[in-house]
Amino acid sequence: MYPTHHSDEERLDALFRAYRAACPDRDAGANFMPELWKRIEARQTFTFSFRRMANAFVTAGLALTVVLGVYMAIPQRSPAYPVSYLQALADNNTLETPEIVGPVRLDLTDPGR
Amino acid sequence: MPAIKWCGMLVDFEVIKRAQAGDAPAFNEIVLAYRKRILGTITRLIARQEDVEDVAQEVFLRLYFSLDQLRTAEVFEPWLYRLTVNAAYDYLRKQRRRQEYRMSDLSEQQVMMADAAAGGKVEHEEQQQKKVREAVDSLLGAVSEADRILLMLKEVEGLSLKELEKIYKVNENALKVRLFRARQRVLKAFGASGKQDGTG
Repeated sequence: MYPTHHSDEERLDALFRAYRAACPDRDAGANFMPELWKRIEARQTFTFSFRRMANAFVTAGLALTVVLGVYMAIPQRSPAYPVSYLQALADNNTLETPEIVGPVRLDLTDPGR
Repeated sequence: MPAIKWCGMLVDFEVIKRAQAGDAPAFNEIVLAYRKRILGTITRLIARQEDVEDVAQEVFLRLYFSLDQLRTAEVFEPWLYRLTVNAAYDYLRKQRRRQEYRMSDLSEQQVMMADAAAGGKVEHEEQQQKKVREAVDSLLGAVSEADRILLMLKEVEGLSLKELEKIYKVNENALKVRLFRARQRVLKAFGASGKQDGTG
């Protein structure tokens, strides 16, 4: 068993050596450098466009955030709105609730009653 | 034939630093210095002559766009080797999806080539070399792409474990274990095909 395995090891090593000899170092073709620079430039253009687009998105996002921030920070007071919630509620009730549940009006000006 | 080791800087550190700073002629100088070596390594890693230049260009393309990440020029070579390994790995992974390894054809070729390797002069050298490449390519189908590359770097490129450690940034013992297992698998495939050939 061992000699066979050992022989396989040697034959495999021989095969690897043969492979090394069958694949010597080689030089590149004439178009290697121009093709390489073409690929570099193509990638650069793509990267540049992508970066510009990404920058534009980031700028727009920041601007929107600032605008929203400012908008939220400003106190929301308008003359059309009542000052307080209770007042608003009261006003609302006087308009929409029936008289029976409305506030009681006492006429104190007539002492004869 | 002794394996050629990957050692000895082919460009000055100064050139690398200039290329890092975006100097195109310096980058050209690096490519011109290393392309033959890279092409040779890729040829042996992927065993497809027609795609070697394409993969080598990918390596230099990655080099160009990641050169600024290189901390010191001293580690340039292991780093370039890592880029080469990664590009070869990506290529092999794509290839494997398309390819069917013809393991049944292996036995006759590999036995013939192993004998030829030991047996002095061989007729039709060109054809024989092609068959050797095909035989090894088929044989390495028994292991994963990552193991194939690791095995090639060790057995064919002749890199030491220390050099592999620098490239892979992995503990030497882990590399030893992985190499042993990969070699055993290839050996098993090699032996099995040899037996098939003997009985058939």
